Amino acid sequence: MTGIPPAVTEESEAFWAGAAEGRLVVERCTSCGARQFPARGMCRTCRSRATEPFEITGTGTVYSFTENHQRWRPDLEVPFTIVLVEFAGHPGVRVAGRLRGGPAAIGAPVEIGFEPGPEGVAVPSFVVA
Amino acid sequence: MRAEDGAVISGVGQSAIGRQLDRSGMQLTLDAIEAAVTDAGLELGDIDGLAMFPGGGAANLPGYANGNLYEVQDALALTTTWRQGQVEGMSLPFYGPAMAVATGQARHVVIWRTVKEGSAARRAGGRPAYGSTKPVAEGPLAWLLPIGALSPVVQVAPFATRYMHEFGATREQLGWIPVTQRAHAGRNPDAVYRDPLTLDDYLAARTISTPMCLYDCDVPVDGATAIVVSATETAADLRAPVRIDAMAGVIDGRPSWDQWEDMARVGHATARALWDRTTLRPADVDVAQLYDGFTIEVVWWLEAMGFCPVGEAGAFVEGGHRIGLDGELPLNTWGGQLSGGRLHAAFGHTAEAVRQLRGEAGDRQVAGAEVAAVTNVGGYEAGAALLTRL
Repeated sequence: MTGIPPAVTEESEAFWAGAAEGRLVVERCTSCGARQFPARGMCRTCRSRATEPFEITGTGTVYSFTENHQRWRPDLEVPFTIVLVEFAGHPGVRVAGRLRGGPAAIGAPVEIGFEPGPEGVAVPSFVVA
Repeated sequence: MRAEDGAVISGVGQSAIGRQLDRSGMQLTLDAIEAAVTDAGLELGDIDGLAMFPGGGAANLPGYANGNLYEVQDALALTTTWRQGQVEGMSLPFYGPAMAVATGQARHVVIWRTVKEGSAARRAGGRPAYGSTKPVAEGPLAWLLPIGALSPVVQVAPFATRYMHEFGATREQLGWIPVTQRAHAGRNPDAVYRDPLTLDDYLAARTISTPMCLYDCDVPVDGATAIVVSATETAADLRAPVRIDAMAGVIDGRPSWDQWEDMARVGHATARALWDRTTLRPADVDVAQLYDGFTIEVVWWLEAMGFCPVGEAGAFVEGGHRIGLDGELPLNTWGGQLSGGRLHAAFGHTAEAVRQLRGEAGDRQVAGAEVAAVTNVGGYEAGAALLTRL
């Protein structure tokens, strides 16, 4: 796998640190409880500034997908599948990642996972459930 | 006061356009500006406002940004009374300039967009990765480039998948967009691809990122487009100005490709705002220059603008009859970006709309065109305008 590594910011630091440990960390509002991703340091539901990292566990659902065939960089292994995954009980959270372990389908359940990405950064890599 | 009433599009001009041109971005830019100013019936010294897209340093792709604002102003030896480092290319490029001339900040503004993406792709041995001009992925791209979603096509593709899943649109339907636009390009001597394209060619083309194949994607090119926006009060000095009936650029939803909520409403808020600013209706539109970075964006714009109901754009374009030159809604009559080249930010679309309204579109002229629709981008960013004869 290859790509371009992320610029890690104060807002995204918790996500990438969690990813390195195999955990999916989003953001939760301590005022209204809403979950959101990516982290903004402001709740998109109630606009409170009181937010904290929040780990999502369990099964996600494929919102949509694409199978990439074009070799955009000489070292890019193709084909591979990109999925957009949502989580029941966590409206407002959708995470883009790779998909492993089977063909993609809209509505299909997937398990949370990660794989080494560019420069060794752990990136989301969901697994067909 | 409506900015639309105080501004006209007075001139459009283009450099040579090709897959690879042995000419610098700066010279292409000056070619286009000279052509646009002459087209307006003006002289370079009449220009007192300048803007470009994108502003300095905003490039995510090699060859994306050319014709530096400072260098162009210096070359033209102009004094400006209004200048914008970056015109809003993702909403509507003449939006800000129209407000400038309508409020008396300037009388004649020239804006330009110059690409050298064709040459950049050749140098890279293929279309380069988005963001590849930077060592790390920033902003919304920080969530896409690390997983290998390395091109806008890969980022848009899941939404095409979702649209086709929800509404049952097929590749056999969508293929009529590039096939029909290629027929139009055959009548445009400046289009980069003019040989006929069949539906079989489309279906047999290699996959880029499902469900998108080669012909669903616009063509990286070298070329420049310039547009002159003038104060309406100068109309007597102008050769053939075109009226801006209405323009709008509403950005709703979450502004990134991975987070955008609902593909069934791409462009809808912009189109609603547009129709609220005019007495014209969708049936009044004679030619539609709808942004076509990818075929699916045309689908979304057809529905957003009310040319067909939501979910029915596939059936609308099928067979190509409605969107052909003699159809009810002639679409991207210059070939669009799919065959005419990725001139980007609706610059090519705007140039064609102006030519059609003036009756200067040559072999691809739509007889009696009086109202043209122009749309830009299509996704979480969306701009639209209606242009009419003055």
